Amino acid sequence: MRMFATAVLAVLVAASPAAAFERLGDRKILVFAGRQEVPTIDPSIKYDWSIRMAQQSLYDALVKYVGNPPEIVPWLAEKWESSPDARTWTFHLAKNARFHNGDPVTAEAVRFSFVRTLKLNQGPAWTLSEFLKDDDIKVLNEHTIQFTLNQSYSPFLSWLPWWYVMNPRPVLANEQGGDLGQKWLTTNAAGSGPFKIKRWEQGVLYELEAVDGYWKGWPSKDHIGGVIYRIVRESAAQRAAVIRGEADIVEGLSSDDFDQVAKMPGIVVPNFPGMTTFGIKMNTQKGVTKDLNLRKAVCYAFDYDALIKIYNGNAVLQTSPFPNATRGYVSVPGIYRQDLGKAKEFLAKSAYPNGGLELEYVYVHGLEEERKMGLVLIDNLQKLNITVKMVPLIWPNMVGRGAKVETSPDMMAVFTTPLTNDPDAVAYQYHKGSFGKYYASHFYTNDAVWGLIDRARTLARWEERAPLYADIQRRIVADAPEIFGMLANRRWAIRDHVKGFVFSPVRFTGEVDLYPLAIVAK
Amino acid sequence: MLFGLLCITFAISHVAPGDPARLAAGPDATPSMVETIRAEYGLDRPLAIQFGQYLHGVLGGDLGRSLRTRETVAADLARYFPNTFELVTGAMLLAVGLGVPLGILSAVYRDTWVDQLTRVVSVSGIAIPAFWLGLMLQLLLALELGILPLGGRLGLMTAPPPPLTHLLFVDALLAGQWRILGDALAHAVLPTVTLCFPALAAIVRVNRAEMLETLKQDYIVNARAQGVSELRIVARYALKNAMIPTLAMIGLRYGWMLGGTVLVETVFDWPGIGLYAVASAVSSDFQPIMGVTLLIGLNFMLANFLVDLAYGWLDPRVRLTGSA
Repeated sequence: MRMFATAVLAVLVAASPAAAFERLGDRKILVFAGRQEVPTIDPSIKYDWSIRMAQQSLYDALVKYVGNPPEIVPWLAEKWESSPDARTWTFHLAKNARFHNGDPVTAEAVRFSFVRTLKLNQGPAWTLSEFLKDDDIKVLNEHTIQFTLNQSYSPFLSWLPWWYVMNPRPVLANEQGGDLGQKWLTTNAAGSGPFKIKRWEQGVLYELEAVDGYWKGWPSKDHIGGVIYRIVRESAAQRAAVIRGEADIVEGLSSDDFDQVAKMPGIVVPNFPGMTTFGIKMNTQKGVTKDLNLRKAVCYAFDYDALIKIYNGNAVLQTSPFPNATRGYVSVPGIYRQDLGKAKEFLAKSAYPNGGLELEYVYVHGLEEERKMGLVLIDNLQKLNITVKMVPLIWPNMVGRGAKVETSPDMMAVFTTPLTNDPDAVAYQYHKGSFGKYYASHFYTNDAVWGLIDRARTLARWEERAPLYADIQRRIVADAPEIFGMLANRRWAIRDHVKGFVFSPVRFTGEVDLYPLAIVAK
Repeated sequence: MLFGLLCITFAISHVAPGDPARLAAGPDATPSMVETIRAEYGLDRPLAIQFGQYLHGVLGGDLGRSLRTRETVAADLARYFPNTFELVTGAMLLAVGLGVPLGILSAVYRDTWVDQLTRVVSVSGIAIPAFWLGLMLQLLLALELGILPLGGRLGLMTAPPPPLTHLLFVDALLAGQWRILGDALAHAVLPTVTLCFPALAAIVRVNRAEMLETLKQDYIVNARAQGVSELRIVARYALKNAMIPTLAMIGLRYGWMLGGTVLVETVFDWPGIGLYAVASAVSSDFQPIMGVTLLIGLNFMLANFLVDLAYGWLDPRVRLTGSA
């Protein structure tokens, strides 16, 4: 009977409304309700927003992106220098940096981490593998490491925030069959970051605990004592969770839901323009969209303001192929805006002066915003006597279609988030080196632009690079490989006792830097 | 049958567009990175060899590895299936526990308010989509009234008991962790009710119809003529016969529910194989899909086998025919 009473009492306790953050002794534990799982935290293997949020919390890198506009600040490396030709980069490590097990963060650990990532050839390896080989990473002394690239490459530094440093000792101790610790690092961490793993219930929740005496220190005395990242897959349930106080931060609500919860007491909704562009990529190498004048006609027929309405005003139109926060961004004069006269003019110049075409518009199945954009296209292109066939596909099938010229659709709705704010990260999406990737489903081909991109990335001085990128942006717009759409704002719903939120557009949609967060209870 | 299932699933998985290695490698991966993944998972071999290797592995208990979770499929299924099993078993027990008596009452009190009320329940159960019901229950009981948790299996600060059987309720009981058991029960109420509702409706309808048919039989009329009490007629003579088709339906439904919980699992963040299967499907992660298919096929076979056993218990003629 007593046992039964205990169980009943526990049911009642579990059922009572939660009082926002959780407490564990004197620690305040932040609850983040996100829709996406964290299938692995191995820094050499994979990244997306939820994975990287965990990696950023558990590991440190040589440098870190902070703020808006994003700025690279020293982290494990307290200072660095590069050769005038941007080929040799030398980093001096902070001497007090410690891994979670107490081992010092040494230059050898940095070398091991870079070599491991290059060897496994997954995750962020692609960002540097073209320029950096294992043997070109030299430990100069315990706290100094040098990278010698096989050619000049200015954006080198901009990628380093995503190359996290692992402690070789536990990694190698847990190696299985020469896997360089892959299996172990899937759910275990060997980092020096501000948090360490407390609980890892795959597919359910992940709990991190703040590291007492974190080597870099904490920005606030009220810093969070830990984080529970709980998977809540339905946006209606996420919304309910933040309203009810079961979650302190939620991401991924619909525009309407964000607007609604923003008006509720106790909830704030930070609202910042991000770096994720939305574009409708047109196949420039096959089919009717190979015709430049037709593409221009489509670009001029599109109602850009409708994009902003779809996001309830929480978006800005693209004024360049580059997101506004990208270094070297210029607002391209005369970028396409709806102008039916010009649309008809370019259609008349095309091989299809009377229209009478059907264009395929492929978008992500179930993504309501992209479906609405398709409806806008249908309405707009009708005026040019062009019909639009909407084809919803699941993401893997879209990626499959967009990987080859022959299968890439006439038009494909694509959101793209560049990994850095260096212009090369965006410009290279229009280079033949990106063919096969979803964001290059336009198969944009322009030898002059490719040449400029190749040259700009090798120049060391920004004063020389900047004009090239301005030129690249203008030339891409002139070739109309896509309908340059908008940058949707990044939003989260946050309980107002959470302080210290720092936005940086270079982070992925949904990703939050947990390190500066604090909970100030009323 | 299982072999056929595997063949069909393998064929469907591999004709679908989309490159699993590319997806696993990430959106920015270079061709050499995609090839690395392809080689690591054996996706660079001819399809016939891949299938042969997969079958060889299955016979040895190796269901392959997931590209998405990077775990073995067997380990993933061991993690997720017990959650689905507990949810479905709970929902089915509730559906049988309520549905059979309601079916009897509805038949015995035919065309009275009892019957009409039961009809409302059963028609609603069939007509209301499970995910919608789940969301409504969540909004009312969790959000508005705050008397039940929104989702998940346990409260945020509740650590699960030591995983002896991987069945949370059983493990909590075995560990004598009553607080955890209570927490788990509270979290199970809404998903169980949501999942139970359509099954309950079907059981009520079938049981009612069978009871009505049985109550018209000569042996029932004869029993009444002999003055046997109505309770005894219904409970002892009519119910046993009426239960045979109901039982067949319960068996099939149970097997179906074990593979068809994805919507309820999504709404309530119940980490079961439905969610696992969908996440694998959208990542073109074939081996988990085949593992789940195999498991669901086995469940169906097992459920039907148990139903066959129950037939024998309910109807002695089946036992006699079997032994003849």
